[in-house]
Order: sequence, then C-alpha cells, then structure tokens
Amino acid sequence: MGVSKVIEIPYVVELPVGPQHPALHEPLLLKAYADGEEIVKVEVNTGYNHRGIEKLAESNSFYRNIFICGRVCGICNTVHANCYTRALEYLLGLEPSSRAKYLRVVAMEFERIHSHMLINAIIAELLGFEALFMNIMLDREKIMKAKEILTGNRVVGDYMMVGGVRRDIDGVKRDQLINILKKIRERVVYYRKLWMEDDTILKRLVDVGVLTRVNATKYSFVGPVARGSGVRIDSRASDKYDAYGEIPWRIVVYDEGDSWARMMVRWDETIESIDMSIYALEHLPSGETAIPDERKLPRKFPEGESYARVEAQRGELTYYVMSTGGVNPYRVKIRTPSFLNIIHSTILYPGYTVADLPVIFGSLDPCVSCMERIYVVDLNKGVRFRIRLKDLALKKVV
Amino acid sequence: MKRKKSGKPGLINIILRNFISKPATIQYPFQQTVIEKDYRGRHYPDLNKCTGCSLCKIECPADAIEMVSIPGEYIVPRINPRRIYPVINYFRCVYCYRCVTICPVDAYITTNDHRLVSEKMINSSEYSLSTISKGGGSE
Repeated sequence: MGVSKVIEIPYVVELPVGPQHPALHEPLLLKAYADGEEIVKVEVNTGYNHRGIEKLAESNSFYRNIFICGRVCGICNTVHANCYTRALEYLLGLEPSSRAKYLRVVAMEFERIHSHMLINAIIAELLGFEALFMNIMLDREKIMKAKEILTGNRVVGDYMMVGGVRRDIDGVKRDQLINILKKIRERVVYYRKLWMEDDTILKRLVDVGVLTRVNATKYSFVGPVARGSGVRIDSRASDKYDAYGEIPWRIVVYDEGDSWARMMVRWDETIESIDMSIYALEHLPSGETAIPDERKLPRKFPEGESYARVEAQRGELTYYVMSTGGVNPYRVKIRTPSFLNIIHSTILYPGYTVADLPVIFGSLDPCVSCMERIYVVDLNKGVRFRIRLKDLALKKVV
Repeated sequence: MKRKKSGKPGLINIILRNFISKPATIQYPFQQTVIEKDYRGRHYPDLNKCTGCSLCKIECPADAIEMVSIPGEYIVPRINPRRIYPVINYFRCVYCYRCVTICPVDAYITTNDHRLVSEKMINSSEYSLSTISKGGGSE
C-alpha cells in the first residue's frame, strides 16, 4: 500500500519585532509568526518597562502620590493626576470650585490634542511619510507652548491638586491660549482633509487591522480603538466628571473599524477638543478661587475606599484608592487603557502582511509605560501575589 | 464617512511652500527659545525666610531635598534656631514645585531658568548661601 497523501506543513518564520526596533516607538516584543509575507499569529511579550509605581504609591503619602501618579505615563500625566486626585476628593468629600473644574478640563483637553497629534504623526512616519511627520510635529509645538502657558511646563503639568488646580490664568494668558488654539484648529482641519484624500495614507490604512464591533466589545477594547469600531463608549459622557457636563461636545464614532477609522476618530476628537477648550476658556467662571491652599489641606485621610475613572487619550483609565486612615494609602490600583488595548491586540494581526504589523500596532496608540504588570498565581493554593523582578529572574519563586 | 481619492499627493502645497520658506528649527545657541516668565525652572530657598522646618523635605515626591546645617561663618536669622537649610539636588528634582507651594513661610525663590546643565550648580546650596551674608568682614 503506497502513500496516498502527503501533508506539507508550511514553513513559518518566527519574527521578533521589538523591544528595540525602528518600527516601534515603545519597548514591547511582538513575536510574529509569518508564513511568507502573511502573519499567522502574534504573541505579545511585555515586561521591559516595569517600574512598580503601584507599590511605590503604598510607601508614599497621599499628596506625594499625586506627582508620582502623574509620572506613570509622560504623555497622559494630567489625566493620571486628575483621576487620582478625584479619587482622593471622593475620600475627603471635597468639591473643587467650578473655575478649577473648567481649568482641569482645559488642561486635559490640551493633553488630548497633543497626544492625538503625536500618534497621527507617528503613524505617518511608520507609513514612510516623513515629510508629514515633520509638519504635524511642527504644529504640535504650538499646543506644547499652550500647555507651558497654562501649567508651567511643556509636558509634565503637575497641575492637579486636591480641591482645585495649582495655577490660575489671567485675561492675557486666556487670550493667548485662545489665539493659539484657533491657529492649531486650521492646521488640524487641513490634516484631517489630507488623511481623507491622500493616496499614500489610504492605501496603507484602509481595510488594515479590521476590528469588528462584536470583537471590540468582546475583548473590552476602550477609547478611540473601540470608537473606531462603532462602539459608543466615553467616560466623559457617561460620568460627566469635572466640567464635562457643562461644555457642549459630541462623541466621535466611526463604523469602519480599520486603522484608518481609528486615526480619523483621533483627528475628529482633536477638533472637538479644540472647540471644547475654546468654549471652556471663553466661559471660564470667575469669582471663586481655583487654587486651594496646599498648606491647609488635611494631612490624614479618613478610612475608606474610592474609585475614579477618567477618559484618557487612549481610553478609560481607572484608579482605585484604599485608605486605612493615616498618611499613606493602603493600596492604589491603576488600570490603564493600553493594558486592555495591547494585550488583546493579537486578534488584529493575522491575515495581514509583515509590513502592516507596525501600522496596526501604531494605530492602537500603544503606551507601554502604563501597562506593565507582574503577578504570580499559585494554582495549587489559589493565591495571587506579587514579587520583585530580580527574584523572578533568579527563579527564587517559580 | 466617505473616503475620497484625489490622485495627487495632498502634501504638495506645503512641500512647495517649504522650499522657499526659512527652516522652522530654532538655531539654538544663537537664537534663544522663548520661555514663559512663570515657567517652572530652577528654584532655591531664601535663607532669610527659611525656618528649617523640613516640611519641603518631607513632602518632596522625588526625595531631592536634604536638610544640611549652615556653615559656621554665616550669620543665620533668629527664626532658624537649628541652623539647617534645605539643599535641592537638581539632578533628582522633578520641578513639580511642591516645595514652593507647601512652604509655610514662602521661602522659595523661583526662576524660569531652564538651562540647568552645569558642572558646579548640581545643587542649590551656593544659590541659597548667597542670600545671607558671612560674619566678620563688613559686619
């Protein structure tokens, strides 16, 4: 009896992309398995940027943690600080003045504008469109300047404080900010038009990395990634924290679900953010002071726990703060949007070519510094505990 | 949303304009960058006001402040009986200005100096000590 069938297994190449790679701007290892040019499977390996901020927060006081939490991620520092500060305000039962609330919204929207411009510029660079990258980054400088006028620093604002904000603006600064925003708006409208018409961009982004609406909800994608797949999810609308309930705006939703839709959500949100900031600056309430006296704030916090969430640039960001009464928090738990978006992103890659991999990854707006975690789960005892990275490397535990 | 295809590269107008315009890059050492007056730059305690209470050291999120005793030859105001003053390590400092806002006597002097690269000025001790005078000499 001879051989009737021969099964040929295709040759699959394992292709490590990252953690140091020209196509990735974040330290993350994407282990791609490619059959020819086509990707068949991708594994996400993290752990290159773990800093232990949650643990650090337990050994520092509530107020020191405002600045430590602001440094979880460089580009979303104001939203991190805002979320943590609001969790503290819920614990204390404090309510900031309405002027402070408006200023918080302006600071957070400034951050959203520059973050969305950055990721769109990076996508242009990943496509090989360097001239566009340079031009967007040049216009992004203006909003960095606006943030410097508002908070005192180009990137790390350190703007939030329990009971308000740390700086106020006068009429001169307000007019300056409105002028800058109006200038940026023209440029953003132009770039949005470019992203709708340019052949290079359309050929590389349209129908690449399609995420269906069902999968977006099934795998808990958040932020612009979910909104690009037609899921109407936005904590700013559902929670109406700070002054978001008083400022008119709309949720941007695209139904296509591909990389192009995700980037267009970001451009539309940038325009929305500019309009919101202009509205907030023009309707800034006066009379009340926005700056609390930091010397008179209570040092000890009452016993209890609180939970706050905020719509960061990349999606929903939540903070859980537990206090046992005293100066330091007992536990600070951070759940960042990239944690959901990146871990589950493996479903997006199969079927596309190797050249599409950085583009799909970039369209998720990855932020690795937010999402590093280490847990050890003991299956026999059913307990979950955390260990030092050093012990793990020396295999003291496992 | 409909995607339109135009056929021509959309950036062509900007590229043509950039051929005839000046470069956007600031020629840094010859041309200064414009910095806001209230930019969070280098700061140091004024020892005429400082009481040596150590609150800034306790509250500093980056542990950049150390309390050091003032050298014996300096005349220290009576409000600082322990003769100690905060020294900021500028390499560790994150410029959050928590020490400035928490200080009970508003002792901190703030500047918008952002050019911090220096071999000598690695901490604030020289700036702080220049605010008080030495004994003997002119006194």
